[in-house]
Amino acid sequence: MARWNYISALGHIAFAFYALISLVGGGLAVTSRSLVRAMVGLVISLFGVAGLYLLLLAEFVALMQVLIYVGAVSVLIFFAIMLTRASADGGEAAGPGQRGILRAIPAFLLTILLVIMLGVYGVTGADTPKNVPVAALGAGLLGPYTLPFELISVVLLAAIAGAVLLAFEKRGTH
Amino acid sequence: MNPLVYYQTVAVLLLGLGFYALVSRRTLVGMLIGVELMLNGAGLSIVAAAQLTPADAVLGQLGALLVMGLAAAEATLVLAIVLVVSKRFGNADADSPRELRG
Repeated sequence: MARWNYISALGHIAFAFYALISLVGGGLAVTSRSLVRAMVGLVISLFGVAGLYLLLLAEFVALMQVLIYVGAVSVLIFFAIMLTRASADGGEAAGPGQRGILRAIPAFLLTILLVIMLGVYGVTGADTPKNVPVAALGAGLLGPYTLPFELISVVLLAAIAGAVLLAFEKRGTH
Repeated sequence: MNPLVYYQTVAVLLLGLGFYALVSRRTLVGMLIGVELMLNGAGLSIVAAAQLTPADAVLGQLGALLVMGLAAAEATLVLAIVLVVSKRFGNADADSPRELRG
């Protein structure tokens, strides 16, 4: 790109903004000593990733991200925090400890390795994302990708049944 | 550097953050938060790869939706497991259930 392009610069600024939101939220989610704050960090990170989806012109995926992750999964995590009857911090007040730091070394090494590999072997993509209408997604779900669509509903049903079975309290055992 | 590499870098960093939470958290709920971060990175990677390359964009977006559905199912099951563990051991620490004996 020879000439300075304002739209492209705006795109870069928006990308940096959303990437910063998702990474800062993720950092809060993994380092916070309180589980409720960690969950809030996760929600911030999910919103940042939704913004990245919007930048990729995947507006339906961004909407589903907010609906499913922020609306449902984070509420589930909050229920899990509340129902464990632990202390207010949820049992994370002591921090990861020496063993936790030791176990985290592979995570750092893997991340650094993958980032280096991306820099060296990263493939060249297009500069602008494709614009796919939502109708094409619906046609895909009802056409060539019907089987995964039905299978995910079976998986969700099995998950619901399994959760009810696990959490079911038998009468007279307590 | 091109946009695809930027998006994949963010996805890899989310994966690393989630992996760090998975191995360093003491409680099952903290580990669940790490898994959700990792799945988010996976979804972002899939959508970026589908939208910025000549690949089938519909397949990529539907794949990300599939990942979201699996994440919701997994969170439901982990919530039930956390309930069972906290009922039996009094806390939800990952180190509490040490024995496989019923």
